[in-house]
Amino acid sequence: SPEERPQFPGASAEFAERLEFIQPNVLAGIPVYRVMDRQGQVLRPSEDPQLPKEQVLKLYKTMTLLNTMDRILYESQRQGRISFYMTNYGEEGTHVGSAAALDASDLVFGQYREAGVLLYRGYPLELFMAQCYGNASDPGKGRQMPVHYGCPERHFVTISSPLATQIPQAVGAAYAIKRADANRAVVCYFGEGAASEGDAHAGFNFAATLECPIVFFCRNNGYAISTPTSEQYRGDGIAARGPGYGLLSIRVDGNDVFAVYNATREARRRAVAENQPFLIEAMTYRIPPPPPQKKKNRFPWFSARFSLIGHHSTSDDSSAYRSVDEVNYWDKQDHPISRLRHYMARRGWWDEEEEKGWRKSSRKMVLEAFERAEREPKPPPRLLFSDVYLEMPPRLRRQRAELERHLETYGEHYPLQQFQK
Amino acid sequence: GETQKMNLFQSITSALDNALAKDPTAVVFGEDVAFGGVFRCTVGLRDKYGKDRVFNTPLCEQGIVGFGIGIAVTGATAIAEIQFADYIFPAFDQIVNEAAKYRYRSGDLFNCGNLTIRAPWGCVGHGALYHSQSPEAFFAHCPGIKVVIPRSPLQAKGLLLSCIEDKNPCIFFEPKILYRAAVEQVPVEPYNIPLSQAEVLQTGSDVTMVAWGTQVHVIKEVATMAQEKLGVSCEVIDLRTILPWDTETVCKSVAKTGRLLISHEAPLTGGFASEISSTVQEECFLNLEAPISRVCGYDTPFPHIFEPFYIPDKWKCYDALRKMINY
Repeated sequence: SPEERPQFPGASAEFAERLEFIQPNVLAGIPVYRVMDRQGQVLRPSEDPQLPKEQVLKLYKTMTLLNTMDRILYESQRQGRISFYMTNYGEEGTHVGSAAALDASDLVFGQYREAGVLLYRGYPLELFMAQCYGNASDPGKGRQMPVHYGCPERHFVTISSPLATQIPQAVGAAYAIKRADANRAVVCYFGEGAASEGDAHAGFNFAATLECPIVFFCRNNGYAISTPTSEQYRGDGIAARGPGYGLLSIRVDGNDVFAVYNATREARRRAVAENQPFLIEAMTYRIPPPPPQKKKNRFPWFSARFSLIGHHSTSDDSSAYRSVDEVNYWDKQDHPISRLRHYMARRGWWDEEEEKGWRKSSRKMVLEAFERAEREPKPPPRLLFSDVYLEMPPRLRRQRAELERHLETYGEHYPLQQFQK
Repeated sequence: GETQKMNLFQSITSALDNALAKDPTAVVFGEDVAFGGVFRCTVGLRDKYGKDRVFNTPLCEQGIVGFGIGIAVTGATAIAEIQFADYIFPAFDQIVNEAAKYRYRSGDLFNCGNLTIRAPWGCVGHGALYHSQSPEAFFAHCPGIKVVIPRSPLQAKGLLLSCIEDKNPCIFFEPKILYRAAVEQVPVEPYNIPLSQAEVLQTGSDVTMVAWGTQVHVIKEVATMAQEKLGVSCEVIDLRTILPWDTETVCKSVAKTGRLLISHEAPLTGGFASEISSTVQEECFLNLEAPISRVCGYDTPFPHIFEPFYIPDKWKCYDALRKMINY
């Protein structure tokens, strides 16, 4: 009878007469969805999205081009040419698999390790480099540290350093987009470490209560700088939190581009069709860069405390917290790039010849863009003062004039020759 | 045009009503706004504009502001309510690190200029530590946002509409003690009062007094007392916008009078009066006849039972003024 059911507004449930705590089932956790095995062999043909050859080649070329760009820009940081860099090694599959599944106009909020999404959308090498160099071509006007990319034309919101702040913002954007347009989604990327921030909790809860067309995409790469996941959380990762908020959730093999693709595609479709949020936790591994040849660092304050190998970023040496064996496993046995290559080779879409040719031409493209970026001057110093507000307040105009006067007298002590007038 | 008798919360409702009517992208959200809000500022708006435009959020200030930023980034108009200014601090990171810096850090590729955050502000007689705060000084130190505080219903509607239409993220603090107490004839149609423009309410020749929000009424009364008891002529200025603030109007006034008194409820140390004082002594040093006087809350949290002793009331302001005149 109705009186026998709980009447509390806060939960619809049955009564229970036995004292029993719910076991957070960490050992038998949420399974990892995959399409290919570690050798790129499709396990269930029905799960193969059967993407056309051109698209699969684009996935592969984007991942490898990103890898090449990473190697060159990482090295340029070690040589003091740019101040800072973050590589994407090992996580390229999460970028391109998800990017390929989105519509070109879906709005992307990233954290800082999603350059492959922007690259997949066609962002030119020149502009990646211009931002890293903070030179006059940088659409961001040299305001931020390297890898803080942004591109309105490609619907990629400018990256900011604080972690997880993008999560509730992405939800707000999804809410506005829901009101404005029936066929557009928001995708929000973050790492498993950022998911510990309060903003993540806020974002998940708002997305569910306000019924937003958003896909939350968590890159769980095993580490937040030096902190392993065992020190980041005790539950079953991030995917297990989803149901607690009312989110449809899935865990996928982040190194399997087709698993990432399938999950993102379906989540995106349903998020828009049903106006509800989805949570994808893509399991992957953050691979450190190969040991560099030379160390000459013009920015000692970033790496003074650390030695050679940059990892979380160029300010990190992960040999301090992980073993060579662990790293080698991921580099050699389970890498998104090699798994896709095996898939392509099996279909006769790629061979050693193509591989050699592409390595050569992609490296050439990157080096050309790099050399151009190296030669470009920095923007004029007066750009220090604009865009604080839409209009420049009088006080700031006075401060700008003060700097101009100061440079007239003391200009020799400033690196003016590197900057446009 | 047509005016109506409105108190402060009604003038806020009127501004929000105008904004929602004029701008189809505008949405109003926060804790408890759907039923009309704990101070009745949003009464009737959900029925009039629909539940997708006037809605409750979960109890989470960092979420409210982050969510509001996201709406604004898409170009839609976001009007967020924080239930008490005392509770704005969980959103401090989103405001200072994100909203304020969105345009600058992206090289003007992105911005959240369509965001306005409203919050009840200031002492209310019994609010104690967590229902009385005036946190404007924390935000004054943050280039990229605007901070606005009205003294009356007529001012509030015009200033709030300016904040909503301003293409920079704005924080609008509403003196809660005036929500019901202050009543004026306010135009029903929308109108704007410019930001970053202080208002001289009363001209004078001997002393300049500057305040904002509720405290403007206190210094107005002090001006009358000074005239009657001391024959001193006071110039009374409502600063209205804390950031970016109207240095020109204040400095011009002090250059004329030679004496400045600034008063706010917020604690003395690091309060916004420090910024005004520092600027005025730089710009008007040779005009000053006496040290600049700050009459503020004590350097304590806002007390409950001791509120009558804590606040910078007219007697404290009058006494400070008298000392300045006799310097």
